[in-house]
Amino acid sequence: MKNKTKRTNNACKEQRAAYLFLIPALLGLTLITYIPLLAVFGISLTDLNVGHFIKGGTMPPVQFVGFQNFREIFQNPNIDFLNSIKVTVVFALLAVVCSIVYSMLIAMLLNRKMPARGFFRAVFYIPYILPAASVMISWWFLLKYDGGLINYILVNLGLGKSYFLSAANTAIPSLAMIAVWTSGNLIVIFLAGLQNVPRVYHEAAEIDGANAWQRFWNITIPCMTPIIFYNLLMSLVVNLQVVVPALAVTKGGPGKSTMFMTYLMYQIGFRGRELGQAGAIAFVFFIVAAILAFILFATSKSWIYNEGGDDQK
Amino acid sequence: MNESAVQPSRVKKGSLKRYSFKSKKRSEKIADTLSLLIIIFMAALVMLPLWWMVRSSLMKSIEIFKWPPQFFPSEWLFSNYNIKPTTFDFWRYLGNTLTIVVPCVVFGTITAIFCGYAFARLRFKGKTFLFSLCVGSMLLPTMVTLIPLYIAWASLGLTDTYWPLILPYLCGGGAFNIFLIRQFIKTLPRELDESAAIDGAGYMRTLVSIIIPSIGPAIIVVALLIFISTWNDLLQQTIYISSREKYTMAVGLTTFMGSFKNDYAGMFAATCLSFLPGVIVYLFGQRYFVEGIVMTGMKN
Amino acid sequence: MKTKKLLALLLCAMMVSALFACAQPAAPATEAPAAEATEAAAAETTEAPPAEKVTLTFSLWGDPAEQEVTQKTLDVYNNSQDKVYVQALQIGRDEYNEKLQTMATAGEMPDCGMVAEDTVIGWAKDGLLMDIDIYAGQENLPLDYLAFKYDGKTVAYSAANEVLALWYNKAMFDAAGIPYPPTSLDQAWTWDQFVEVAKQLTIDANGKHPGDAGFNKDNIVQYGAYVNQYTWQLEVWALSNGGSFFSPDGKSVVFDDAAIEAIQKVVDLHLVDNVAPLNDGTQDNGFTSSIGAGNVAMCTEGQWATGFRGAGFDGIDYGVAVLPYMKEKVTIATGGPTGVFATTKHPQEAADFLRWYNSEENGMNTIMAGWWMPTKQNYYTDETLLKSWVDDCAFRAALPADAYKTAIVDVALDTNVTHQSAWYYTPNMFDVIRTLQPAMVEAINGSKTVKEVIDSVRDAMQANLG
Repeated sequence: MKNKTKRTNNACKEQRAAYLFLIPALLGLTLITYIPLLAVFGISLTDLNVGHFIKGGTMPPVQFVGFQNFREIFQNPNIDFLNSIKVTVVFALLAVVCSIVYSMLIAMLLNRKMPARGFFRAVFYIPYILPAASVMISWWFLLKYDGGLINYILVNLGLGKSYFLSAANTAIPSLAMIAVWTSGNLIVIFLAGLQNVPRVYHEAAEIDGANAWQRFWNITIPCMTPIIFYNLLMSLVVNLQVVVPALAVTKGGPGKSTMFMTYLMYQIGFRGRELGQAGAIAFVFFIVAAILAFILFATSKSWIYNEGGDDQK
Repeated sequence: MNESAVQPSRVKKGSLKRYSFKSKKRSEKIADTLSLLIIIFMAALVMLPLWWMVRSSLMKSIEIFKWPPQFFPSEWLFSNYNIKPTTFDFWRYLGNTLTIVVPCVVFGTITAIFCGYAFARLRFKGKTFLFSLCVGSMLLPTMVTLIPLYIAWASLGLTDTYWPLILPYLCGGGAFNIFLIRQFIKTLPRELDESAAIDGAGYMRTLVSIIIPSIGPAIIVVALLIFISTWNDLLQQTIYISSREKYTMAVGLTTFMGSFKNDYAGMFAATCLSFLPGVIVYLFGQRYFVEGIVMTGMKN
Repeated sequence: MKTKKLLALLLCAMMVSALFACAQPAAPATEAPAAEATEAAAAETTEAPPAEKVTLTFSLWGDPAEQEVTQKTLDVYNNSQDKVYVQALQIGRDEYNEKLQTMATAGEMPDCGMVAEDTVIGWAKDGLLMDIDIYAGQENLPLDYLAFKYDGKTVAYSAANEVLALWYNKAMFDAAGIPYPPTSLDQAWTWDQFVEVAKQLTIDANGKHPGDAGFNKDNIVQYGAYVNQYTWQLEVWALSNGGSFFSPDGKSVVFDDAAIEAIQKVVDLHLVDNVAPLNDGTQDNGFTSSIGAGNVAMCTEGQWATGFRGAGFDGIDYGVAVLPYMKEKVTIATGGPTGVFATTKHPQEAADFLRWYNSEENGMNTIMAGWWMPTKQNYYTDETLLKSWVDDCAFRAALPADAYKTAIVDVALDTNVTHQSAWYYTPNMFDVIRTLQPAMVEAINGSKTVKEVIDSVRDAMQANLG
């Protein structure tokens, strides 16, 4: 009996501590994310235009249009939102898979003893630091069909030229490659994760005669699963939100091959002024991203090795 | 802690299998060389676009487009970096940007640690729900909520100040970072803080004395991520900052690029300048996790 | 336990101090160069406006060279009278619309400023631009084609005039022993002549020309021609071939067979004739990446190409000529417009300022730098005034001035030749370009014909026009 009250007391204390720790996040989530998001949802049900904010302006008054904006973005071939969903998801998946494999590989290699290790780590991380728009312009120079360095190298190797960003079928793979190049943050997180894999495990396994591959597969990977999961999720979310390549270089083309969701929203709401339609796109974007994230979370339970987890209530 | 991981005495005791120390060493050596070669090759590939920016910043604008492409400037024009402060006021932009970045990094990191710890270790009502809200907020590009937020900040009279750029970071430093801290804490064995609890430590003390030292690399990573995301947050900085004397690096850079984009060499020079502080901070930060400040109690 | 706590504290302290250590040098550093940059500092100290004055904000984009010139111009205005104080709000070109439109949602737009050409009519339609004619009641008016009209009313004027012309690298013509392109309309090249010359000027690594046996199109060291493929510039070729993009009222999409044929000829310069580099019209910057890059002999570009002489391209001697033609000798005109924004509390003061700002007497710096041409008719017809910005401008004199007068000035004055770009009268040009430009890339790289591309976006463009 006495023991029980003590436990509830502890639980109470724990709960109070948790809420105290969470105050900043809760403030941020409500004020900066969810209240504005509700506002955006409200806007998506109207025909709001930037012009409506002009006092004494010429716009007819704002009207509640129900779900017409949602119907419009899917049915209007001029907006072609389905195509945007498709190209965004294809790009994101391609970029995520390639960047995870690439950054895991590089992090594993960089975690070994080697001369000038600090220098190499910096090399792989720096692309992430650069302003994204400048990065795109640099890559545009490199990937130009005529006059670009990469095509110069390809021609001199006896391979044919590639259109890269200037053709519909090569634009997405090219952008995915650039996304991989920029994924230095994933490498750093993997590296930090590798540092946290207790060395005793490796030593023990080595003593048991496990080879490098077995150690990688049976120790490193399981210990790293929470980090891999984080990187997967982060890389997925970031790549779903892709907008800079279209903004800085491709403008959604060639054809509609890079008309990403966020770029479409930008075009309609920011360069254009149709806030209602942009709100509808934002909302559908949120749902698509949430579905993909949910799938990732749902499958994660089966493969995340949770050493310190407390989810088993 | 000890780099010479395999100690002969322990091998004898622990291993029942035949264990050839020599061949092991040789295969390790081959693996080391091989991985070094791969890293050099990959680094060269990754460096190529970087080098392209740097070499473009050091040549005449017309040389940038030359065919066949030039790997090195015919004349190293370091004078391209001598940009007039009236057009690209580097030091002022640096000072302004740091005014935003430093509080964001310091308080963002601290609050992210608090929240990440609560989500990773503590039990409380509504945890799953709150955590879902947290993850959900990551799914939104900043662009989505920009207009409602702008209206809100404007009604508070805070446009053309740094507050709209700083205050959001004081609220947990962004869901990504909370989540990252949580994941790292989850890789730690539970016994670690339970042993502290037995010692009678409170939650704050457990966090400060046990958890924080164990996730050092992750904390550095979070600080770096916040640094970079605030450093390069062009969209919000453009929207909120108007006066020229308040320009940040990103805003200054995009204004510099101008409409005709005729001065490509100058543009590349300004770009290289603008990311230099980021590189320096990175080099500083990386020392800490290269050394590997892993102090997990379990290892001893 | 104690050591761990100590370590933890140390770590935190290190982290915080590391960050502050980084921040520290910044503080004194900001002051040091500020002392060097006395001009900038001086400009800022004079900026504090006296209380009784009306303060106007004037928003603009532009490269730093232009901005410096603008600041000086504003200082002149501020010192010339004591009722109005104008301050500049500079915004990056790529973020300009986003920023102003976001400001509009909080009623905080500047009083007046530049407006992106492709959104002028759209802004007027949605009420972001004030319905005010800054030249109302004035005598000396800009050239007719420089007025943006919506619903029959003028909503903005271009602050500059620009017409498209042909630019060429003199050294490349000299080396090939080919006479320079014609500088007057009566001698203008036909398109076929233009392509023929371009072929002679295109050289691969082995010195071969297109059509020669063994010519390698993947290793061209010098291209003959580069026709700018920004969507709005392509319109000139449609007009040249007797076609058009839009109906004159700007309400319907035309893109007739003549227009399609003309654009196909332009993209064939790369695809078939092998005289032009691939240029997908996204990031390309006509003059800079062609003549300015030193590997193209001829390019089409607006009058502003004159200004590149002052911007690091002085190593290349280039001249100006008239555009080649397909059926009709034409060019198109444009120019960055300025307007009064709807949220201003001082529309009259803003209009007065814009009229002052747009006048040649006060904007002479940008004109003399080669970037702009005057907008007022008398600057083209009056001999003394004409001399003041053509013969007396070093950059124009180097083209030389005579060629400039026939290839640019005479052309700009001839309204049978110079047409307005579509965005002077077409609503939602921004949306049309957003639709057409990415689609066109598929014609430019040869995976579709121009006809296929136009047919695929025709309905969408019509919907864009509203």
